[in-house]
This record gives sequence, C-alpha cells and structure tokens, in this order.
Amino acid sequence: MRSHLTAAALAAALLATATAARSDDAAVIALGEETFNTYCSTCHGNNLESTGQTFDLRKLKATERARFQNSVTNGKNQMPPWKGVLSDAEMEGLWRYIRANANEK
Amino acid sequence: MKRTHRSAPFFLAGAFALAAAGGLSAQTLEDLKKDHETPGDVLVYGMGLQGQRYSPLKSITKDNVKRLVPKWSYSMNDTRGAEAFPLVSNGMVYTTSHSATVAVDAVTGKQVWKTVHDYPPEVLRIVCCGIVNRGAAIYNGKVIRVTLDNHIVAMDAKTGKVVYDVVSPEISADTGYSMTGAPLISNGVLITGVAGAEYGIRGFIEGYDAETGKHLWRLYTIPKEGEPGHETWAGDSAKVGGGSSWVTGTYDADLDLVYWGVGNPSPWNPRGRKGDNLFTNAIFAIRPKTGERVWYYQTSPEDPFDYDAVQTPVIATINVEGKPRKVVMQANRNGFLYVLDAADGKLLAANAFDKVNWADGVDLKTGRPKVNDVFKGALAGENVTVWPSVSGSTNWQHMAFSPLTGALYINVIHVGMTYQAGDPPKNLTMGRPSGPGSVKRTTVLDDPNVLGYLKAVDPLTGKSKWETPYKSPNFSSTMVTASNLVFTGVMTGEFQALDADTGKVLWSFQTPSGIIGQPITWERDGKQYVTVMSGIGGVYALRSGDPNLANVPAGASLWTFGLFED
Repeated sequence: MRSHLTAAALAAALLATATAARSDDAAVIALGEETFNTYCSTCHGNNLESTGQTFDLRKLKATERARFQNSVTNGKNQMPPWKGVLSDAEMEGLWRYIRANANEK
Repeated sequence: MKRTHRSAPFFLAGAFALAAAGGLSAQTLEDLKKDHETPGDVLVYGMGLQGQRYSPLKSITKDNVKRLVPKWSYSMNDTRGAEAFPLVSNGMVYTTSHSATVAVDAVTGKQVWKTVHDYPPEVLRIVCCGIVNRGAAIYNGKVIRVTLDNHIVAMDAKTGKVVYDVVSPEISADTGYSMTGAPLISNGVLITGVAGAEYGIRGFIEGYDAETGKHLWRLYTIPKEGEPGHETWAGDSAKVGGGSSWVTGTYDADLDLVYWGVGNPSPWNPRGRKGDNLFTNAIFAIRPKTGERVWYYQTSPEDPFDYDAVQTPVIATINVEGKPRKVVMQANRNGFLYVLDAADGKLLAANAFDKVNWADGVDLKTGRPKVNDVFKGALAGENVTVWPSVSGSTNWQHMAFSPLTGALYINVIHVGMTYQAGDPPKNLTMGRPSGPGSVKRTTVLDDPNVLGYLKAVDPLTGKSKWETPYKSPNFSSTMVTASNLVFTGVMTGEFQALDADTGKVLWSFQTPSGIIGQPITWERDGKQYVTVMSGIGGVYALRSGDPNLANVPAGASLWTFGLFED
C-alpha cells in the first residue's frame, strides 16, 4: 500500500480547515496535483514516487523555483518542453503541489 | 525494386557455418516462415512467426548451464528502457533503442554500424509509459523499424544506410500517436500498430509494402459513426476511443492470418463511454494483404481497468478434447488465459492464471466475462478493490510456449489496487492526456515481498505446474529451449535460467541495469548462445514507486552469453 496519496489528501484536508486564504492554497495545490497526474506522472511516478530512473521531484528545494521553471518550460535531457502547454496557473500549482510533498519543506 | 544484398554477408568470417545452420543472406518470406526451425538465425519477433519463443537448441543444458558466461556486452549509450527483441542474421546481432538501430558482430560484440533516428523533443509529451522501442523486423536485406514520431525506416542490413523512410499518413504526435512496437512481416506486408490510447487516439493497425514502404491499408480499431460497433459507445465517446495496438502480433502462413491485440478504451474512466466499446481490448485476425478483419474476440467489454488485450497471441497446435487443434493463446492483462481456435476465433478455454476478482470466470458460450459486483461498483463510481491492478496480471511482456512440456511460461504481475472513477473527464481531444487524474488508485499487495511470479501454466486450465516468486514483477519476456531451460530477466538486473520442469533457478548473472528485455537463443559453429538486453525503464519502473528498484541504475546494454571454454 502506498501512503503518499493519503499524505497529500491529509495535507489538503488540513489546509482546507484553516482560513479562507489557506483554502485558496488547497485549491492551488489541487490544481497542481491534477496537472501532475495529467502530464508528469508518466515519467515522474504516481504520487511523485520516483523509482530512481527519472528525477525525484520531491528533492526540489524551496530555493529552486527558477531551476524548476526552466526545466519544465524548455525541457531537459529527455524531458520534453512544456512551453505552450501548461498555463502559468498550472505551473504555479505544480510547484506548490511538489513543495507540499517535498522531502525538505 | 529488388535489392541486391543476397550475397553480401559472405565476407564475414564464420558466415558459412551460419549459412549451413540457418539459411543465408536475403531473409526471404520462406526464411521467415521457417525461422523457428533454423536456430542459426533469429529473424522474426518471438523467435518464429508463431511467437512461441521456443528453441530446438539443447547444447546448454540443466547440467552445464552453471558454466554460462558473458561472451561480450555492448553499450547502447542510452538510459531509457531496453525492451527490444534482438535479431540474428548473417553474423550480426541487430537491436534498437528509441533513438538508434545498431548492428553488432555476433562473435566479437563490436559495433558494425549504428543509425541514429532523431525526433522532435515535443514527441515525448505523448509517450505515456516509457520511451522505448521493442525491436526491428528483417526482410530481404533490410532491417525495418518504427519510430516514436511514426516513421517506418528501412536500413540496409549490411551498412545501416537508410533505404526508405516513410511516415504514417495523416497522423502525428500532435494528435497523440506514437509507435513503439516491432513491425511484423507477413506475406510481404510490413504490419505495425500504434500507441496513444492515453491520449485519445483513434487506434489502428496498418500495412506497408515491406519492400518499398508504400502504404497499403489501415484497419481502424474504433468504428466511425455509421460503422458496425459504433453503437457500443455512448454519445460521441468513440471520437477519442483509444484502442491502440502497441504490441507485435503473430502470423499463421497456412491460414494467411495475422493475430494482433488491441488495447484499452480511452479514457480509463469508463463512466462517459457506456457500452461494450468495440473493438477495444480485442484480438484481431487480419488478412495481411488487404487488412480485412476476418474475426475478432473481445476480452474486456466496457473496461474500467486498462486491461489491454495486446499481449502477443501465441500460435500452437495443442490437444483440445483429445484432438490436435491449431489455437492462439493469450495470457491477458485481465487475468484470464484465453485459448481461441486460430481459424475462426471460437473460444475454447478461458481460465484465470492469477488472482482475479472483477469477474467470476468467462462464459464459454457468449465469450463474455461473468462480471460481478467489483466490476459493477467500479462502473458506478464506487471505491473498489480490484485484482489485477492497472498493470494487469501480465502487461506487454511475452510468454513462451514449449511444445515439449505443453506449458506456457508466463511472467505474472501479482498486484492489486483500490480503484475509484470520479466524474468522467470532459472536453477530451485527440493528442491531450485523457483525464488520468479522474481515476483514483492505490496499490494493494498480498505480500510486500512477492509482487510477481514466473509460472508454468497449462493453457487449457490456467493452473500452474510451478510458480517461482519474485520480489518485483518481471517485465522481461521468457524463452524456453528443448533442453527444458527457461530464460528470463529480473528488474533488479539478474539474467536467469530456470528448470522448465520445476521452476528452480539454476543460473543467474547480474547485468548492469534492470532487465525488461526479451531473451533469444541462437547457434553458430555448433555452439549455443543466449542474447538479451539489459536496461531498466518502461511503465512499471517509472510509475510504480516500487522501493525494491530504488538502487537499480539506468543504462541500456546488449549481452551475449555462451558456455565457458577452457
């Protein structure tokens, strides 16, 4: 049984019980999760669980937003470029979803 | 135009011995038809048009297999999954990656040529399940393969020079199509399928003149409005119906029929496409010259669980009720092992070969699964626990059949899932992911240390003679020899030989990466060799999060083994 989906759901639930601003956070993260499931999980693993053959997105640190943005936009190694496919809101959601599940918060 | 490579390979040292063993040079249709009887070469995906992956060779035995050692290994200079079926002809081993085709000297392991196939990086946006290629075909001096951006490329087998390069008409990666499978040559026609059922394609199988690359026909797997079967899709759901054809089929020359499996309906979420969803999850029998569908058999109507019927149908003559009968067999992703009459598709047997809980068997009269509350609950949007998981009881990995033991050797995935389909995804279009997030899944295991088995299975009962457990499921194919050895690879890198009578692992060698490839065996100068690719990747390694694979490095290589000589 994998537990990260539950962790994500719990995180989302905790956020949802907080203030209205926090509810907005949950919506952004939910959009990010949906975006990840649609475009990214095929290579980066279900629920962000990388087996090691591709970059483990949970290793991204809070200071690495620019690196993330560049790789997703322009592609890197055998990752395709997503410029023109992902909206700014989806990109933001992705980043927040990954950060919400990161190894180092 | 006739090619002139017939006599070319004579310059290769030792090619004469190969000629004596296996028919020289041009790879005629007759050579392809006899491939399973000529162990000096391996010309057809599946070690023969029947796809049995059985070899009459027996100089590597249960007694001496412990002396099996690597003769050479070759780097593919690539980190993606190595799923290709190697070919052997005229002293060369040919294999592929997603971006290159290579010819390697069969004796020395040295590269003779390498042809690189570039494709735009955007193509990878619509590759759902691993950036791979499963191998080439060889015919009349040409090595022929497909590419992720839907080209059919023929190369001179001697030099690698491109003889023709055609693109599949009217489709593109923009509309979700890609090609990953090995083509099949049947009656002079090159047959290929497509991938893309996770991107709303309208699937098809198509034929080309293998000599020239001229497009001959296309057989769609999803009917258009007004065509028979369209009524099995609610509303206009057939427009993005999927039905890919990503795994290679087999060919019976006597019946002149190609057997080819069709994949899942799109989207996975079944709630917006009520009906049987013809002709997804079906086995087709096709006339290769015309593309006429002579018969079909659908294994999983209205499929919620991604149970493609793509595993290569294996052709064999077996005793059914005391009489020899030519059949096609498929250990389906849905957990049932189907045996069909090869001539007319009549269902002869369908039995579970691993844990199945979505149906209580298959009705032999109607051919339909006896679906139960698990299946009905899934369609209704309930959270259900399902065996097998979306990966299936098998996935694309091929089974082997031994006419000596009468058993199928199947790498089985023993994993279940919780499954809940939310509201059906809206605004689906070809070329965009078909709402995978609208289905919520988690993995369910019986035993965290046993996620797969290699099983020796009786085709007519589905029962195992033996089962050898594995910590992670094997996505390698199997191969069996007349000396009753089964070869397979393990996702943590071991290449193994097992006793076909008991399932005991008799020999194991650690390759540099995980194995998801396809073992073959061949002989030269009276010596038997075994060749396989190593290189982890593909859908399971990428998506499962299996902790057992955390320390398996990527990196594709080609290996040839033989008995140690003093």
